[in-house]
Amino acid sequence: MMRILPVRAGVLLLMLWLLQACAPNVYYPPRDVRLPPPVVESGSQSPVVQPAPYPSSGVIAPQPLPAAPRTQAPAVVALLDTAEQQANSGDLESAAASLERAIRIEPRNPVLWYHLATVRLAQGDAQAAEQLAAKSTSLAPGNNLQQARNWQLIARARHAQNDSRGAAEAEQRARELSAR
Amino acid sequence: MARRRKRGRNHSRRNRTRRSFPWFHLLLALLLVFAGYVVWLDVQVTSQFNGKRWSLPARVYARPLELYAGRELSPGQFASELRALDYRSVNAVHQAGQYSRNRDTFHVMSRAFTFWDGEEPSRRLRVVFSGNTIGTLSDLGTGKSVSLARLDPVLVGSFYPAHNEDRVLLKLDEVPVGLTNALIAIEDRNFYHHHGVSPLAILRAMWANVRAHGVVQGGSTLTQQLVKNFFLTNERSLARKINEAIMALLLEFHYSKDEILEAYLNEVYLAQDGRRSINGFGLASYFYFDRPLSDLTVDQYALLVGLVKGPSYYNPWKHPERARERRNLVLDVMAQMKLLDPQQAARAKTQRLNIGTGHKAINPFPAFLDLVRRQLHTDYRDEDITSEGLRIFTTLDPQVQWALEDALETRLNGIEAARGSGHGKLEGAGVVTSAQGGEVLALAGGRDPRFAGFNRALDASRQVGSLIKPAVYLTALEHPDHYTLATLLDDSPLTWKARNGTVWEPKNYDRENHGEVPLYLALAHSYNVSTARLGLDLGVDNVIATLRRLGVDCKLNPYPSLLLGATEMTPLQVTRMYQTYASGGFDTPLRAITAVLSADRSPLQRYPLNVRAAIRPEYARLITTAMMYVVRIGTGQAIYNVLPADRNVAGKTGTTDDLRDSWFAGFTGDRLGVIWVGRDDNQPTGLTGASGALLVWRDLFARFDDSNWTQTATDGIEYHWIDPQSGLLADSSCPDAVQLPFITGSAPQEQAACAHGNALPEAVDWFKELFR
Repeated sequence: MMRILPVRAGVLLLMLWLLQACAPNVYYPPRDVRLPPPVVESGSQSPVVQPAPYPSSGVIAPQPLPAAPRTQAPAVVALLDTAEQQANSGDLESAAASLERAIRIEPRNPVLWYHLATVRLAQGDAQAAEQLAAKSTSLAPGNNLQQARNWQLIARARHAQNDSRGAAEAEQRARELSAR
Repeated sequence: MARRRKRGRNHSRRNRTRRSFPWFHLLLALLLVFAGYVVWLDVQVTSQFNGKRWSLPARVYARPLELYAGRELSPGQFASELRALDYRSVNAVHQAGQYSRNRDTFHVMSRAFTFWDGEEPSRRLRVVFSGNTIGTLSDLGTGKSVSLARLDPVLVGSFYPAHNEDRVLLKLDEVPVGLTNALIAIEDRNFYHHHGVSPLAILRAMWANVRAHGVVQGGSTLTQQLVKNFFLTNERSLARKINEAIMALLLEFHYSKDEILEAYLNEVYLAQDGRRSINGFGLASYFYFDRPLSDLTVDQYALLVGLVKGPSYYNPWKHPERARERRNLVLDVMAQMKLLDPQQAARAKTQRLNIGTGHKAINPFPAFLDLVRRQLHTDYRDEDITSEGLRIFTTLDPQVQWALEDALETRLNGIEAARGSGHGKLEGAGVVTSAQGGEVLALAGGRDPRFAGFNRALDASRQVGSLIKPAVYLTALEHPDHYTLATLLDDSPLTWKARNGTVWEPKNYDRENHGEVPLYLALAHSYNVSTARLGLDLGVDNVIATLRRLGVDCKLNPYPSLLLGATEMTPLQVTRMYQTYASGGFDTPLRAITAVLSADRSPLQRYPLNVRAAIRPEYARLITTAMMYVVRIGTGQAIYNVLPADRNVAGKTGTTDDLRDSWFAGFTGDRLGVIWVGRDDNQPTGLTGASGALLVWRDLFARFDDSNWTQTATDGIEYHWIDPQSGLLADSSCPDAVQLPFITGSAPQEQAACAHGNALPEAVDWFKELFR
């Protein structure tokens, strides 16, 4: 019984979070920049960036360009729903499996990595949770809201590992990002 | 004489009385021994039967094919997956395991399957392709769109126990009643009435055989046959017959008819497939007909029942006429026993044999299976793997695997044909993983994909050459106060003296020196001299520390030659190293297994996705950009002779001394591929990384649609236009200006000589614009 309690608490936390996170606007499309159809001699240009028509020797260079915002794939939404149900019924391992399935479909979607981190934390694997949240952050540049959530999660993970100083730092990062 | 006779008589009388007593004792002793023997047999029979758990080989499954609108998949790939799953092409779908195709529209009825995270029900689906993408996915009945469905997974292979018995276990209620009735009719008509041995059956069998002018029935009961298979060897002797009879009686004494029948249905030997013996009706159905027992028609299971008598004598592929006669005889008996009406029997008798292709490769992907077995060994003993009926779910993507096998085989054949060199000297290996998750999607251990021998992907340790260089450059870039992508490196001749007096003079591949070269171009052109000088400045130990962080766990010699790749790694170890680059700086252990279920489909173990931050994402961005220049303008540019220019690829070629090893490691946002080409005898191949391995990689990745890889704008990174000649800030007056990423604040301040103050658009502003 003693062992079950923290797990229950974790599940409860997770459910609370899922209620908040799986609200209709859960999906924050990652803001990507895309390495574009490279600049070729003809000088075909993207309408967004207007690099001056500098003399080119025909060198094809990778450049940052914006990508079209990603759509919310129904397959991924369905898997998020499934994961939520599984987590709510206490089957965290299956929830994690469903989220990994979603990550296979959209491997660079930071929201999915964040959800997986949350499930791991509820399972009591704070270290894995922290790393997965960091992965989510690396995939969500410029997305302050998602990054703030990741840092909040990292703070919780560090608390769970009795690292109160690290947790405080993470909370500070989360506050800064939320304020932006 | 008389005396002698008397004495003799006395003697003989005494002898007689003396003899009678020992006889009695002997008989008693024999009886006791016999009773003891029976008790011993009884213990044997009951303990073995009670504890009889057939050694069930572990089944290894590929990843299931996920179907959803928008998925990259061609109709041809879909069809090949369905064929690999033995789905039958029909005109109208009405049973699980069937599909119909009308150009780009498929109707499929999927099979139910138990995965780790639950049961996937059988579904009737309509899949419409638009080009090489699934356009729509909907329910065939209601027409409603379906967001996600998965097929049952392709069986990759099995791990067999030492005696190579294979079976698919069935419960009695899973066996069609028609089949058990036919079996009893043919093999043991009196089954439900005898006590294990049936003298009547022997007589009846003889009579039946006489009537049929041939051997229709055998005299032994199903129980005796089971005992024979179960406990006894194949020797033919009276002692064995007696043992068999006693054990049959004992078995009947302890167990119900249904228990005995179920054991028989799973035990009976029904075919030989190479070294593997096919036992039980469950597997025999797949073996002969490519489908489960429940799907068989009456003529098909009549054939199976007929085969019990002699699987090799009646082998339907080798002796179709014998098999057909035997099947028809079974059908006649069934009709005669009123198990079939005569018309049904007559119709069934006209059927062709309807057998499958047979001779399936048991393990179609031996190299991948080898990896699975090794990863399993960290958690399971060998006997668990071969006997517990584990269901192992892996990351193998058959589509990627087929593509890899084909690319490797075709390209190596092509190279050898073009050079007119002897066929088969060149070998190769390859690994493909998912870039973010580290899942091994495909693995080739050699150019012959069915060869289960030397697995080069796992066991061929070869010099890696320039593949190691990104680690040197990364070590530098992690000190943004000293090094950026634009920092000029010195490529002038280098002589390095070790403390012991040995001299090292690395040379460039083109035997020339290139003066001052910006860092990103030194990597792109894979210059040895500037790389060696950079590595010596950084310290070999620091480069080794970087390699360790990247996940390299093999032995590394702390000598300067390490900086140019004078160290051996297997293709899989190289993959692990590049995985960290491909995943944006996260060391991701390579996984071939996702989950293991027990034989009764309850979850045993899951192998979760784990990552570990190894390089800060900003630095990963810098080194990835440099590797993009490798393929845009450097040693890897042949990639774009085939791949479309808008496809982003980062990669590195590797070539070793005397052209012994040809390597290419490259990744997109979705996949990482590592290819090695060389010879098993380590002789020169005449191939550089670019003229060998790169071509295989290119052929392979040309089949993928990894076109949506976007360079994610990373916090802490800013872009600047740079003049490659000077490594300084450029403007539109500068020819060849390139836009490079810098750690915030680390970009050069100075303007290049070519710059006349004509502003180029500033990436920083543009990013701000984007995120406002």
